Amino acid sequence: MSILAYNGGAVVGMKGNGCVAIASDKRFGIQLQTIGLDFDKIFEVGPKIYMGIPGLATDTQTVNQRMKFRTNLYELKENRPVSPKVLSAMISNLLYEHRFGPYFVEPIVVGLDGNNEPYISTFDSIGCVSEPEDFVAAGTCDDQLFGMCEALWKPNMNPDELFEAVSQALVNACDRDAISGWGAKVYVIEKDKVTIRNLRTRMD
Amino acid sequence: MALSMMESNNRLIYNDAGQGPVQHQFSPYTDNGGSIVAIGGPGFAIIASDTRLTSGFAIYTREQGKLHSLTNAAVLGASGCWCDVLSLTRLIQARMKLYKHEHQKDMSAAALAQMLSTMLYGRRFFPYYVSNVIAGLDEEGNGVVYSYDPVGHCDKNMYHAGGSSGALLQPLLDSQIGLKNMAIKPTAPLTVEKALQITKDVFTSAAERDIKCGDGVIIRIITKDGIREETFKLRFD
Amino acid sequence: MAGTSERYSFSLTTFSPSGKLVQIEYALAAVASGAPTVGIKATNGVVLATEKKHKSMLYDGTSVWKIETINEYIGMCYSGMGPDYRLLVKSARKAAQAYKMAYGERIPTVQLVQRVAAVMQEYTQSGGVRPFGVSLLICGWDDGKPYLVQCDPSGAYFPWKATAMGKNFISGKTFLEKRYKNDIELEDAIHTAILALKESFEGQMTAENIEIGIVTKDGGFRRLSTGEVKDYLDNL
Repeated sequence: MSILAYNGGAVVGMKGNGCVAIASDKRFGIQLQTIGLDFDKIFEVGPKIYMGIPGLATDTQTVNQRMKFRTNLYELKENRPVSPKVLSAMISNLLYEHRFGPYFVEPIVVGLDGNNEPYISTFDSIGCVSEPEDFVAAGTCDDQLFGMCEALWKPNMNPDELFEAVSQALVNACDRDAISGWGAKVYVIEKDKVTIRNLRTRMD
Repeated sequence: MALSMMESNNRLIYNDAGQGPVQHQFSPYTDNGGSIVAIGGPGFAIIASDTRLTSGFAIYTREQGKLHSLTNAAVLGASGCWCDVLSLTRLIQARMKLYKHEHQKDMSAAALAQMLSTMLYGRRFFPYYVSNVIAGLDEEGNGVVYSYDPVGHCDKNMYHAGGSSGALLQPLLDSQIGLKNMAIKPTAPLTVEKALQITKDVFTSAAERDIKCGDGVIIRIITKDGIREETFKLRFD
Repeated sequence: MAGTSERYSFSLTTFSPSGKLVQIEYALAAVASGAPTVGIKATNGVVLATEKKHKSMLYDGTSVWKIETINEYIGMCYSGMGPDYRLLVKSARKAAQAYKMAYGERIPTVQLVQRVAAVMQEYTQSGGVRPFGVSLLICGWDDGKPYLVQCDPSGAYFPWKATAMGKNFISGKTFLEKRYKNDIELEDAIHTAILALKESFEGQMTAENIEIGIVTKDGGFRRLSTGEVKDYLDNL
């Protein structure tokens, strides 16, 4: 079994009209045995920037900590917040620095940039970046997520529509994955507020 | 490895001498892709497949449907290792003929479903590498769907997505047909039109993301009046 | 070794009893005797101008430059020692590219200045080295704003609206203090920069013996061609 699927879990992000959303499941497991139901895979980087890190749980936390280290230094050195694009470049660098002994994660970044334009990006485990115009998905049920997103995503969704689309995509995808699910957390990011909702899902 | 010789200091030297045994391997399976979606409803069943046949990144053909009408009330969708599909379907046809001669009637969908399970399990230790879905009508004329794993595990459902795009499509069907995770569930029964529309939508989605799925879709609609066929174009790249 | 004072190899930049680092003072002296350089920040750009006197009529000055491009929007000039300058240009260009690789966007001028200044500071505290014999003028444009910063051998840096360095820099600064206005535009600033150089210029000023570089929002940083410099001189 792939080490990327050792703990299970999935993250999805979507662009809307003046808003972005990111959602993940909350399961933490060791192969098929579920250990915890409140494992965060989404981390706040700035008031309007979030990063989701599915994959090997220990690497999820390490990558988050090392990115915190780097973004803190950046913000002190440059006296300005990181933009989503800069964050993406930094993640890409961190991952590529471990080109021949990678972190087993496939992070995604969502956020609003300086002009409040929606931004999403996704990485492979050695830092190849992609910036699609619709949605990003990663984790053990990424196939299921892509199938859901491809059908549910449409351009220019408002925050409520975006929440509905991203939630339905995540929950239905996780229901068809034995090692994802057990609750979900959805963030909808708008220019003046971030709404965080915890979803109830089937627990099996 | 070819046994080649060269001359050195007037002595013949065998190049592969002392390199240990040479291993040869035969891989009996290949994955030719293909995706199947089947939906059963009151008074009808529909089953659809894409028409692309692949091997790795190569496209063998863009017009190979994967549906096999077995009787007037049952259609089999089979994809995976295409040579196994061909062998398996021929064997099924033969077994159906034997059944008809013995019982003087066509096999029911339920009988076919049971027979396929037995046939697949018969090859438990050298399985047919095939993802099977049977759509048909039950004794009351309502749609049923049977889905299989390669070694004969059989599941009776109202809908199923199998083959290369199975993982992409199944959660979509759960949501749209199974009405899973919905706060307010619509009460109207599923119609053929709605099922057809969903089938086309999910295949369009799969063709965007699964390189093994594309080109076209063949849909067969099974009702008490017989089997009707429709086609539908997918992205052609 | 002979005396007690020579038993240890201290850095040349050791504090003097009065609290000064005399090597840095000497470096500044090297700068003050170098060729004059002026920089002026305008509302719509920045100008750098410097004197490039030829030591002999036989000298061919058409292929060496005192004003250098660091990246699309940042330029640099100096007073002091040419070879030291070129080492700093090299490290500045590297810093600019390294930043772009790390963050995927252009280095802000202030960030570049800090990195170059850090290099200069390092050479005041390391063993076996001497401080740089140059002061730099770095100009750039980012986020809709012009930047002009002077960087000294000590590693200290100063953001200016306008300044002069090198020979006669005091009179140059006095001149700029009189002429500078907050709403000055680039064309005007280029003229003022040339006039500031002219104040202390010995001999005839030509398009061959001065250099001018400008940075603007739309054009980025570029060195003016001798033809363009000649036009400015003709229109004085």
